[in-house]
Amino acid sequence: MAKSLMIVDDSATMRKIIMRTVRMSGLSFKRTEEAGNGVEALEKLSVGPVDILLVDINMPEMDGAELVKKVREMPACKKTKIVMVSTESSQEVIEDVMADGADGFITKPFTPEKFQEKLSPFLN
Amino acid sequence: MVEQAVLGDALLQGTKEVFETMVFMSLEESSQFDPSIDGRALLGSIAFKGNLEGSLGICCSVPCAQAIAVNMLGIDATEKINEEETCDAMCEVTNMVMGCLKSKLEDAVGVLEVSIPSVVHGRELKNNLGKGASKILVKVNIADEYVGELSLLYRNSPEQPSDKHGVDK
Repeated sequence: MAKSLMIVDDSATMRKIIMRTVRMSGLSFKRTEEAGNGVEALEKLSVGPVDILLVDINMPEMDGAELVKKVREMPACKKTKIVMVSTESSQEVIEDVMADGADGFITKPFTPEKFQEKLSPFLN
Repeated sequence: MVEQAVLGDALLQGTKEVFETMVFMSLEESSQFDPSIDGRALLGSIAFKGNLEGSLGICCSVPCAQAIAVNMLGIDATEKINEEETCDAMCEVTNMVMGCLKSKLEDAVGVLEVSIPSVVHGRELKNNLGKGASKILVKVNIADEYVGELSLLYRNSPEQPSDKHGVDK
């Protein structure tokens, strides 16, 4: 699959765990990148957009909700699919971020099957 | 009204869910009378506020926390894991358990706001909630090898009417 993925989470450990879980789900990406917050993610996206962005909500510098809005303003990221990965489970938070332009939501704790279910439709 | 037993059960079930799906280690409530954590311990904690306010803590020995980190990261057990990775893993576990608890209690107590999790070397979760605070302590066996402690210190928020979203003590 010639697709690219970026994981945006302020915890380096969580980024590794997400990457591991994506691999366990059987999905593979030609290019994978990581960012520790929204600002870093935007810098990397301005150099080269990705197909799928996995984004935590609570992060320093720029949180996930703000990042979604900014990415949706970037013409180069028009086709980027944004999936939130967070411990947040309140319907209000999920609806807000989806209204801002996110395409999916995965709640922590997660399983490889959940990543398979949520990301596969974007890879076909 | 949320009874203490319901809170305790939600805490245990939420922790089991996290350990089963993300840590890949079994976790059961301890049947031993008074198991204790051997040696140096790490305590992950996170605060919450809303109709219910307080802190959640997860405590285990340093070797247990290292085993948790090794399992979560999927690295070889023979590889050396550093303190930062161990503490980060404990933070993530604490954060996810709080997320599960929050989700399980949302219907009963409404939306809870949570803080950023932190980890310290130590054992006992304490705070200054003062009068009217309650504590739940659940001792658990992790992977049939380690002892862990789940604790919840809480009280009704003074800003909220206790007859609406109260907690039985």
